[in-house]
Amino acid sequence: MEQKPVKDLSYNEAISELGRIISAMQSDNCDIDKLAAYTRRATELIAECRRRLTATDEELAQILNNLQ
Amino acid sequence: MHESISLAKLNRIIAERIISSPLTQNVWVTAELSDVAVRNRHCYMELLEKDANGVQIAKARGVIWANRYTELNRKLLSATGQSISSGIKLLVQVSVNMHPVYGMSMVISDLDPDYTMGDLLRRRRENIEKLKLAGVLDLNRNLEWPDIVQRIAIISAPGAAGYGDFCNQLLNNPSRLRFEPRLFPAVMQGESAPASIINALEAIANDDWWDCVVIIRGGGATSDLQCFEDYDLAYNIACFDIPVIIGIGHERDITLLDSVANMRVKTPTAAAEWLIERGDRALAALDTIAQTIFTRANGIVTGCKEQLSYYQGLLPIAPFDATRRASLRLSKAVMLLSGISSRRLIPAMSQLDVMATNLATAATTAVKRANDRLDNATSLLDALSPQAVLNRGYSITRIDGHAVTSTDQIKPGDTIETTLANGTITSIIK
Repeated sequence: MEQKPVKDLSYNEAISELGRIISAMQSDNCDIDKLAAYTRRATELIAECRRRLTATDEELAQILNNLQ
Repeated sequence: MHESISLAKLNRIIAERIISSPLTQNVWVTAELSDVAVRNRHCYMELLEKDANGVQIAKARGVIWANRYTELNRKLLSATGQSISSGIKLLVQVSVNMHPVYGMSMVISDLDPDYTMGDLLRRRRENIEKLKLAGVLDLNRNLEWPDIVQRIAIISAPGAAGYGDFCNQLLNNPSRLRFEPRLFPAVMQGESAPASIINALEAIANDDWWDCVVIIRGGGATSDLQCFEDYDLAYNIACFDIPVIIGIGHERDITLLDSVANMRVKTPTAAAEWLIERGDRALAALDTIAQTIFTRANGIVTGCKEQLSYYQGLLPIAPFDATRRASLRLSKAVMLLSGISSRRLIPAMSQLDVMATNLATAATTAVKRANDRLDNATSLLDALSPQAVLNRGYSITRIDGHAVTSTDQIKPGDTIETTLANGTITSIIK
């Protein structure tokens, strides 16, 4: 499976890929050799999604500033 | 020259006639309002009557004096969400008045909000039907929401309390969800409101960046909702291609816009809460995914470790175990075999025993029978032997060693030998 950098994915694409990773991991023949790669990719995807959903202090300050 | 009276006097005469007639005092009249204006806290308007085709067939000047205006306006607003304004229909109690300077006017002393409400509902139903016929009624309502809703175009009056409440609620959410709101200012009440809101919508549509539109207004029970009954505004919202949320700060009211907007909430704060809840759900979904993945990964690793340590623990005892199992198998085989032996051999052996007994009996019987037969044969033999015959007095005559059985065999002069039981006689034939 070709992997795009997580930053280039839409939120929906990231969530879909997470779903595919879960299915692969939950299948009976999940290869332990691929486990590290799966987990690393999933961690990146989750972090990116969470980053998009939430704002840092600086971003929040910037948003408030724009509103005034 | 004709005799004349002054205009003032004529007006006074009219006034006296009008006021003295009970037909013109405290009469309930239905009328549509136009040119409503408030000056010096008094409310002036034109009262109209139109026929079924909308053609004006009667007109009169109306006024609500300041001492009644506030109360009547509040009465209408709290019942219908509409203020006394142009375009609405009223059932009013009027008394005709004639002022020497300003002429005739209808002084309004009371109104019946139920009539206005009924008219409002009828008009709303008509507008909804019209939107349905235009094929747009459900367009905005059926729009799918994007996965994450962050870029929020707000239509509100700048500085309005509702706008402040909304931003405050939105940007101080506990999960620190990211929202990027921007205000598109508009007039939110009065006759210019619909056009102003439509302008704001157009400005939002020019920028293909927004996830949703929130139309908000600080509320209160006495706010005027008439602009939210506007057909053109409803049409624009229905056709808008991103979801529209309406939060106009009115607990009770449903307006025409509520029938076309994707989402209706009671207050600006509720609009913010709704958006925050969506974001929180997305965050919770991420947490669930993370939990699932890490639990599964741990499970796989733990499973592999357990398998390894099982093999590891097996190594030292495996050879003994194998020997033990082999020996166990052997004893099982032996037991099985002995089981078979006892099941098969014992009956066979007892059969043999029976056969041996039978054999012995058979042999004895056979020997005895043979002996008996022998004895009989001996007796018979004894009885039939030549000696026995001789003993009974018979004799055998021989010539030249051959037994004589016929007289033809002998002639005189022959020597014959006669054997008796206990000796032999030799004779010569004569």
